[in-house]
Amino acid sequence: MATGSYTFVIVAQGDTPVYGAEFLAAAKKDGQDTSHLNQLIIHAALDMVDDAVWTSNNMYLKTVDKFNELLISAYVTPGHARMMVLHDVRNEDGIRSFLHDVHELYVKVLLNPFHSAGAPIRSDTFDARVRALAKKYLT
Amino acid sequence: MAGLRTRKLNIVDRALGKGRQEVVSQSAFAHLFSEFVQYSQARSITASELERRLEDAGVGIGVRILELASLRDGKTRRETRMLGILQYVHTTIWKALFGKSADALEKVVENEDEFMISEQEPLVNQYISVPAHLPNLNCAAFAAGIIRGALESAGFPAAVQAHTVAADAGGSRTVFLIKFAPEVLARERSLASA
Amino acid sequence: MAAQRPPYQRLGDVAFSKVEKVNAELFTLTYGAVVVQLLKDSEDVEQTSIQLEKMGYNIGVRIIDEFLAKANAGTCTDFKETGEVIAKVAFRMFLGVTVDCRHVVEPNAPADAMPAFHLIIVDNPLVDFVELPEHCSTLAYCNLLCGVVRGALEMVGMRVETKLLKDTLWGDEHTEISVSLKELVHEQYRDDDE
Repeated sequence: MATGSYTFVIVAQGDTPVYGAEFLAAAKKDGQDTSHLNQLIIHAALDMVDDAVWTSNNMYLKTVDKFNELLISAYVTPGHARMMVLHDVRNEDGIRSFLHDVHELYVKVLLNPFHSAGAPIRSDTFDARVRALAKKYLT
Repeated sequence: MAGLRTRKLNIVDRALGKGRQEVVSQSAFAHLFSEFVQYSQARSITASELERRLEDAGVGIGVRILELASLRDGKTRRETRMLGILQYVHTTIWKALFGKSADALEKVVENEDEFMISEQEPLVNQYISVPAHLPNLNCAAFAAGIIRGALESAGFPAAVQAHTVAADAGGSRTVFLIKFAPEVLARERSLASA
Repeated sequence: MAAQRPPYQRLGDVAFSKVEKVNAELFTLTYGAVVVQLLKDSEDVEQTSIQLEKMGYNIGVRIIDEFLAKANAGTCTDFKETGEVIAKVAFRMFLGVTVDCRHVVEPNAPADAMPAFHLIIVDNPLVDFVELPEHCSTLAYCNLLCGVVRGALEMVGMRVETKLLKDTLWGDEHTEISVSLKELVHEQYRDDDE
């Protein structure tokens, strides 16, 4: 499996991300500029996702958009939390497994009565588990 | 109170499957709910204000139950059609909450955007004595909120109203009237013709 | 020779097996919604803890009748036994959980000091998937249980003080409630028309 770079974002209600993380291949660590651009690309892909969710009833939507050599894959939960991955290598199975496991983590966070559905996820443990999953499935 | 230490088991590490078989007494739930109604009533001036408070409390539960039930069932698919989500609410969500499917799911013939889910005796209505000065109180507003929360988060915004009607065999049943928002119908029509 | 004690664990299991049950998650999620609503209304952590205890008290004074009617626990000869019955029978019957009762003896207490016990709940359904945010880290989330015990005991002639000492939400290993006897109150005889 080729080592790629991945930017991961969870968008709950509306268009605001509630969680984001980057899993960059060592060679690719350019710093902030790329990060900002990645966020914009993901945001632009949301429209594609919002159409795709009604024509497909799969949670894993696979690749929904492209930007140059970058691919955007998406996974949408029954409650319409959109999990987006921006990646530069093909890795359908790895991404699917990653998103499936993050889905479960997300639901656990959501079950907390103190968590509002549209609020940012600030849990360090959540972040640590997501990073561990990225290590397992993506890089 | 002990000083804040790291929790032994963080919520994200807890097994989700644990909850499936677990139960508490219906009495515990009914007493809790009854007390919540009393509390809410003290802060409400009209019956409809109380109903709205109860409904709003249910919405957050609906959002959570939808995600939890789907995950538990190991579903990999979302509902994309009106009938699909209604059946899901009527069976799976109802089961997750009340241990059984709702008694009936019907279409309102006159209005394209309306459906009814009916229940013989929602458990939220037990242990509640209707306060004398609020004659039309219907505490199934809470359950209506749960339905609305589930539908809205699934992408099917709707107004949900609970009504008590006389049952044919005597007694009464609660009917949840679900009216979908116009955008849901518009989308449904374009999906049907695709 | 010590008096034969009824096996309270079995009494609790039998009572629990007979009651109507609901999905524990409905209960847990409803409790969470109630706590959040209380917090929203008062915007004060301390007030919310107090309000939860009050709600619990109101539940306790009502639920004791059901307990006495269904549990077949007999009469307790001393406060120690009361603790055992609450832990093994009442908590089991209503919340489906096994609770430990630890009797407390203060090291330097005078001989006539009032007795106390601690209730230890390891698998508390109220706190499933709950995590207290920073700004309410001191919330006594489970204070409802303290109130229930206080209200129920008051109805059988014991005025007690209860306090939430430990909670998993505070980083502790379990939920721990202290129950101290303050005063024995002569029972009020009920009027026949009540």
